[in-house]
Amino acid sequence: MQSDTLTRKQPLPTKTYALAARAFLAEIRRNANDAWYQLQDCADGFPTLWTTPGNVIALLRYLKHKIPHPFAMLYDLTAIDERLRINDYGRPQGTQKPDFTVVYQLLSVERDLFIRIKVPLTENALSLPSATALWPNANWYEREVWDLFGIAFDGHPHLRRIMMPHTWKGHPLRKDHHARATEVDPFTLSDEKQDREQEALRFRPEEWGMADHGEDSDYMFLNLGPNHPSVHGVFRVALQLDGEQIIDSVPDIGYHHRGAEKMAERQAWHSYMPYTDRIDYLGGVMNNLPYVLALEQLAGIKVPPRAQTIRVMMAELFRISSHLVFYGTFAQDVGQMSPVFYMFIDREKLFGIVEAITGGRMHPAWFRIGGVAQDLPEGWDRMVREFLDYMPARLAEYEGMVLKNKLLQKRTRGIGVYNTAEALDWGITGPGLRATGLDWDLRKRRPYSGYEQFEFDVPTANGGDCFDRCVVRVEEIRQSLRIIEQCLNNMPSGPYKSDHPLTTPPAKERTMEDIETLIQHFVNNSWGPVMPVGESCFPIEATKGLNSYHIVSDGGTTSYRTRIRTPSFPHLQMIPHISNGLMVADLIAIIASIDFVMADVDR
Amino acid sequence: MEAVTEPSVLATLLNIGGILLAAVIFAALLTWGERRLLGFWQDRPGPNRVGPFGLLQVVADMIKLFFKEDFVPKFADIPVFILAPTIVMIAMLMGFAVLPIAPGIGVIDLNIGLLFFLAMSSMAVYSVILGGYASNNKYALLGGLRAAAQTVSYEVFMGISLMGVVMMAGTFNLREIVLAQEGGWYIVPQFFGFLVFLVAGIAESHRLPFDLPEAEHELTAGFHTEYSGMKFGMFFVGEYLSVILISGLITTLFLGGWLGPWLPPLAWFLIKTFVLVVFFVLLRAAIPRPRYDQLMDFGWKVMLPVSLINLLATAAILIS
Amino acid sequence: MELFYFYLAGTVAILATAMVITRLNAVHALLYLIVSLLAVACLFFQLGAPFAAALEVIVYAGAIMVLMVFVIMMLNQGDAAVQQESAWLNPKLWAGPGILCGILLLQLALVVLLGGGGSSEGFAPKAVPTKEVGIALFGPYLIAVELASMVLLAGLVGAFHLARPATRKHTDSATGKERNNG
Repeated sequence: MQSDTLTRKQPLPTKTYALAARAFLAEIRRNANDAWYQLQDCADGFPTLWTTPGNVIALLRYLKHKIPHPFAMLYDLTAIDERLRINDYGRPQGTQKPDFTVVYQLLSVERDLFIRIKVPLTENALSLPSATALWPNANWYEREVWDLFGIAFDGHPHLRRIMMPHTWKGHPLRKDHHARATEVDPFTLSDEKQDREQEALRFRPEEWGMADHGEDSDYMFLNLGPNHPSVHGVFRVALQLDGEQIIDSVPDIGYHHRGAEKMAERQAWHSYMPYTDRIDYLGGVMNNLPYVLALEQLAGIKVPPRAQTIRVMMAELFRISSHLVFYGTFAQDVGQMSPVFYMFIDREKLFGIVEAITGGRMHPAWFRIGGVAQDLPEGWDRMVREFLDYMPARLAEYEGMVLKNKLLQKRTRGIGVYNTAEALDWGITGPGLRATGLDWDLRKRRPYSGYEQFEFDVPTANGGDCFDRCVVRVEEIRQSLRIIEQCLNNMPSGPYKSDHPLTTPPAKERTMEDIETLIQHFVNNSWGPVMPVGESCFPIEATKGLNSYHIVSDGGTTSYRTRIRTPSFPHLQMIPHISNGLMVADLIAIIASIDFVMADVDR
Repeated sequence: MEAVTEPSVLATLLNIGGILLAAVIFAALLTWGERRLLGFWQDRPGPNRVGPFGLLQVVADMIKLFFKEDFVPKFADIPVFILAPTIVMIAMLMGFAVLPIAPGIGVIDLNIGLLFFLAMSSMAVYSVILGGYASNNKYALLGGLRAAAQTVSYEVFMGISLMGVVMMAGTFNLREIVLAQEGGWYIVPQFFGFLVFLVAGIAESHRLPFDLPEAEHELTAGFHTEYSGMKFGMFFVGEYLSVILISGLITTLFLGGWLGPWLPPLAWFLIKTFVLVVFFVLLRAAIPRPRYDQLMDFGWKVMLPVSLINLLATAAILIS
Repeated sequence: MELFYFYLAGTVAILATAMVITRLNAVHALLYLIVSLLAVACLFFQLGAPFAAALEVIVYAGAIMVLMVFVIMMLNQGDAAVQQESAWLNPKLWAGPGILCGILLLQLALVVLLGGGGSSEGFAPKAVPTKEVGIALFGPYLIAVELASMVLLAGLVGAFHLARPATRKHTDSATGKERNNG
């Protein structure tokens, strides 16, 4: 019965979002001068405006401040090296082919709409005015673009490399930069080079924008990380301390940078899937979802309801798993030793289910373009049911142990506070945004993969402090259990994979019937599918906030450019804003409450 | 003269040696016991591979610590760096000297036994402070500073909280304090003193709710960040020694020491002390760590008034 | 035997004190001062004043010296301070105070030798139990005790006033020192 309703109500969110995008384009055409920009009609529901370096700041300011229901958040900022692109997709007519484009993506939480702004640049004038005055989180994004593409931002307060070492030569995401070590001469490390590299690592406060003494005291500089028990990976914060009070803090990232975006340009569409698993390595298949959704949107693949429901169920299982790790380490970072052990036991049970279904545990890489890798195994429902019966009692126990603990409340209440406006300014999404009282969840606002058919609440809190961020996540575990229960009770029947030709790997059944399907099967399995020319981006509500893969296809078997927008990147950038003036122990609580993994930051 | 004292010297030596050896052995065993207990409470096995129930884990750890490179950083203040871990061991072992374990068992029967204990516990602070200073490491320095502030503050309440017991017993002699409890344990009339002493004792031995000097989540390992090998081992065992010493002292002062029916006195003392040690471990498993300024606030704004009021009330009742 | 212990502790105290004034590193000097205090505590103990001995350790060695070490740690003295110290060990600088101290020492020695000090009467003439100390303090010396407590109270208020940060967010009396030296 449920499967019937599902087929009837077969949602086409993509289409709805494209309509919303068109409506917005019509509105902006009516109200604003189009000397600023030109419009491009995009397939992915992101209205796209093209503008020039001279107009970009005015346009951004207009969109942020002057229109009703403004675009308050800088969702993403990146660039594309256009020099080797064969197909001119989407460029407004009459414009010259650019060498690079800088792409701004904005989000309006009031319109539930994302918007993309593109600025073409030529190789001999690679600079743009900085948007840091409009959005504080533009700071790191612009540094990243400078580091990886060599595009300068005028007026940026601190334009230094952010991912690569400061001694790095070249800009890695340019098409002329090598992707593999085998493409260049063997690596050597002479003594002089080693000395030079060592010297480059020396800490000089003024390079980080910090003074070494104040009015009446010398400051102490403490290098917290990159190797420290509670920075959750290789993350470094340079602290300027007066006693134990933090005067200033400067987060430093890039120690976990593996060039996932560059790798995407070398991997077939399908074979890139396992790399996505390792972006937010606690999120498992949740990482596959934005990638496959973007590709399916690009290729126009309709995913069967059973596959969608399986995806939702698996994604929610991983949301619980990720939140459990957060919950345990949060308690541990304020000094409570035991909860993390109990929560890892629950997580182990979850991994048991994941293993039974996918064969993998942390990184199953199990979603496929057009569906999932296999159908659900026999007995999956019993395992999931057992977990659903088991988990609520455990959560109640943890609530008494952690959330109701007075000492923990004293450590985390009123610490690391920001309000909704600040959160939007800094690009905070996910539970960190909802903890400020805004009930904005992408699964409700722009449902995907069939989320519109599930009943669940969007938990919020009002304080915007460390404690509230934890409370929101704990409640999200309960809501995820509700969603999983609905998946379990109403799992549709039918295929677990689309029969669209670009589904990868293609269905085997019909291969032996005629030569065409056999060839197609062979080609799609060996080279991988050829995606149509276009651009596609599909944000999802991942475990830690909004995650999306902005995919540029030039009509080949690999991606031309894959941009991974992760939630943790802007979240870390906010640390100085919320921790200056507090004590070192508070910083640890703040870091714990942000819930990041460094792979999700550095990619 | 000498001939008469000869056997008693031997007996004394045996007594002293036995008690100190037992203390060190129990402390070493506690490194295993704590991990097993934590494992039990945290739904995991804990060390259970070496020997029966993993008991030989202690030996394995000792061997490891002895053969590990005993690294002394070049930038350290080397003499102080080497001196620091020994202080805690010596101070704590000296503290055991005044502990009356059972009638006839105990190293020395000092008239100022309680003061001697306080003196030794205040000496033990140097271990942490100097360790923090000599490492010449910022995390260690912060740990040392926290230790200095925390221990000096909590020593105040520790001393005041004991004065109620001293008033009731009328002596500083620990053995006489135990005997004075034949009519009833002091935990009842001196309940607040007991609470304050318990909390201050945890703070003095810097165990988990009050382990700010090492606070691994903030200061990596605090004062012993740079220590390795047997020097680290001494800090480690010193901490367990202080746990046992504080437990033994609470037993003596508030729980009637060796007093108890049916069982031999020694058994009673050991049982009571053991229960307290287990309580210390349970605390570590259960409670998060307060922030440094919260700890100080708690000390000066809660512990100090409570211990002073307890002192005044006790004095008033005794005089009336 | 008692005489031996007395001279042993005395020798330790004198040697340690000598080390205090000759060390270049302030922390090392403080450590010797602590040893010296402990040795003096031993002397007190042997002379029959166990209470004074315990207080010497608890208060002087255990609390005041901890705070001194604390402050010196905060000052973060490096090699520069050691060099400065060694410059100060120039005879020109210490000759004056040295001579004056020598005169005092001479006077003390004369008093002890000529006045026929208590040494001939043997050690520990009479042990002073804690109770007697208490009775003495709250009997004949009551006014002194009260005056001392007034001075301490004044000191406490003064310290709080001085250490209280003018604009800082966190205040706590115990860490005032640290914050100021920050």
